[in-house]
Amino acid sequence: MGTVVIRPASSAWLHVAEHLARLREYRDLLLTLSLHRISVRYKQTSLGVLWAVLQPLLMMTIFTAVFSVLARMPSDGVPYALFAYTALLPWTFFSTSVTNGTNSLVSHTQLITKVYFPREILPITYVVVALFDFAIGFLVLLGLLAWFHVPLTLQIWKLVPVVALLASWSLAVSLVLAAIQVRFRDVGVALPVLVQLWMFASPVIYPLSVVPESWRSWYLLNPMAGIVSACRDILARGGTLDGAPLRAAVIVTAMALPAAYLFFKRAEATMADVI
Amino acid sequence: MIDVRFDAVSKRYRLRHGPRAAGREQEFWAIHDVSFDVAQGETLGIIGHNGAGKSTILKLLSRITAPTTGTITLNGRLAALIEVGSGFHPELTGRENIFLSGSILGMKRREIARKLDRIIEFSGVERFIDMPVKWYSSGMYVRLGFGVAAHLEADILLVDEVLAVGDAAFQARCCDRIAELRRAGTTMLFISHDLTSIARLCDRAMLMDHGRIALAGAPADVIRQYQHLVGAACASEVAGAAAAARAGAARVADVTFIGVDGEAIAATYTGDPLCAAVDIDVTAPVHDAVVEVFYYTRDGRTLHCQQSTALSGGAITLVPGRRRIEFTCDAMGLQPGVYAIGASIRERAGAGAIDWWYGSRVLTVEPGKSVRGYFYAPHEWRWADARAAIAHHPADV
Repeated sequence: MGTVVIRPASSAWLHVAEHLARLREYRDLLLTLSLHRISVRYKQTSLGVLWAVLQPLLMMTIFTAVFSVLARMPSDGVPYALFAYTALLPWTFFSTSVTNGTNSLVSHTQLITKVYFPREILPITYVVVALFDFAIGFLVLLGLLAWFHVPLTLQIWKLVPVVALLASWSLAVSLVLAAIQVRFRDVGVALPVLVQLWMFASPVIYPLSVVPESWRSWYLLNPMAGIVSACRDILARGGTLDGAPLRAAVIVTAMALPAAYLFFKRAEATMADVI
Repeated sequence: MIDVRFDAVSKRYRLRHGPRAAGREQEFWAIHDVSFDVAQGETLGIIGHNGAGKSTILKLLSRITAPTTGTITLNGRLAALIEVGSGFHPELTGRENIFLSGSILGMKRREIARKLDRIIEFSGVERFIDMPVKWYSSGMYVRLGFGVAAHLEADILLVDEVLAVGDAAFQARCCDRIAELRRAGTTMLFISHDLTSIARLCDRAMLMDHGRIALAGAPADVIRQYQHLVGAACASEVAGAAAAARAGAARVADVTFIGVDGEAIAATYTGDPLCAAVDIDVTAPVHDAVVEVFYYTRDGRTLHCQQSTALSGGAITLVPGRRRIEFTCDAMGLQPGVYAIGASIRERAGAGAIDWWYGSRVLTVEPGKSVRGYFYAPHEWRWADARAAIAHHPADV
């Protein structure tokens, strides 16, 4: 580590290359912190890591009971349980990483006012934890596919870029909300409602096909629309992707993530003063 | 080679009253236009009142917050020697927490693994290292947190009130560690109220006052200035100027303590006789001089002062040459501890000092006569009532 220049808050955030180099230097912290989050979560629970399997299954059961059995929601010819589960997988990723990520800075006030490290590591660790949950949820899905006699195709590789997109978008939203939350705790209060609303604005309980054509272009500005339906197409419907929704998700995320990072870095410079 | 450079650094805080909607804001400059350099291998002490800007300098250096204007340049890896227990997770074991807080402080996992044994030994928690830290006592918690920070590899080290942590044995270990790093050529910034440590450890000191550098220079001079700022009896400017004109007439060369056998001693016992010898180099005669010896706590408060006027009542005239004045007391009443020593020469009529000495000399007082309260004073007792004495000794009747 050579020379370090500490600049005024008003210009510090502009030196993106330095920030990324610093983040690289702290990759051990990112790893250690993420591993500890995973290992700590189920300590002092009697079921332990079984919860990671139970949680999505219970959600799937509730959704199936309410939306399929009672509300008779269409599901594009896929068994509703599978239809719901393949959407819940990416949706839970998004909602947990954003909820935890938004609160990650204010819940580590002690650290932030005492030690320096790239603050974005805190929201990123929750994205890593969500990836871990996603992996477990995926194993459960393999069981479900066998149960419903739905064959797994080679198209499954498409899941990798889609999950990368999902992680990027979740991180972008977390960075912005976390930075605002430091100054305005209103964000944390409003977040549960926002997440709930967001779920209904994404094709989680209903198929994308029921969204009227005239709303489509607006509807697809929400990257979760493209991501959720892509996951469902890959996992439950043999991997034939609908290009337009995914393209919209890629474009919006590609613009949002760099902007969110810069916004976060600008807020970071004086975060410890106001937290 | 310069390791730390502050270039016209200012930091503004906005203080807000009530909810944001009310919008009443107050500005406050914690430090203003501060510039200084620290050379490689140098130890700089920063002193000042609470709110003078010391902690702000620390926060800016450790990058917790960014300056409002100005830039800071660091050459090399900087580490802050602070207690990092706040980075611990209660559910994780001591060992896991060493990895966690070590990486929060910027250490690589490999580096932590290499130092693990030393950290555990330093913290003295060997037996409990595989236990969740939520079961640790608060002392163990703090020692472990501090132990991790003490083993950082750094070119520049920030030390903030290190001696406030742990018991005496642990503090001694911390001091050893600091001395070891200093010998290894680590550049240090030492922020403390402990003037004794500043005088002993630092090559240079800097006095902060209201967000600006009031004085920088040799630790003894800076501490002297700080004592002036702290001291309730501030010399008026006229008297100060008069003293300045006399300054140089006499200088305190040293203060030593002498035991009953006439040898110099560094430690004594509460309630024992004590003799303090002040060596003075006189270059021009000083009439009606007053010589004083001060005993300070580590954070610079005056506990006790011995004055030459109180000793003899007569006027002292200092004539050129090396002079020695001895202050003796039959039973020194300080409780066990370590005290910083100062001495001054002034004229009885003038308010300012001709010389004010604040060396790195300390007096260690070991437990002697028992002290309940703040100090020991020699005392005897007898029966005030003759009949009570009789009642107590029936055999004498």
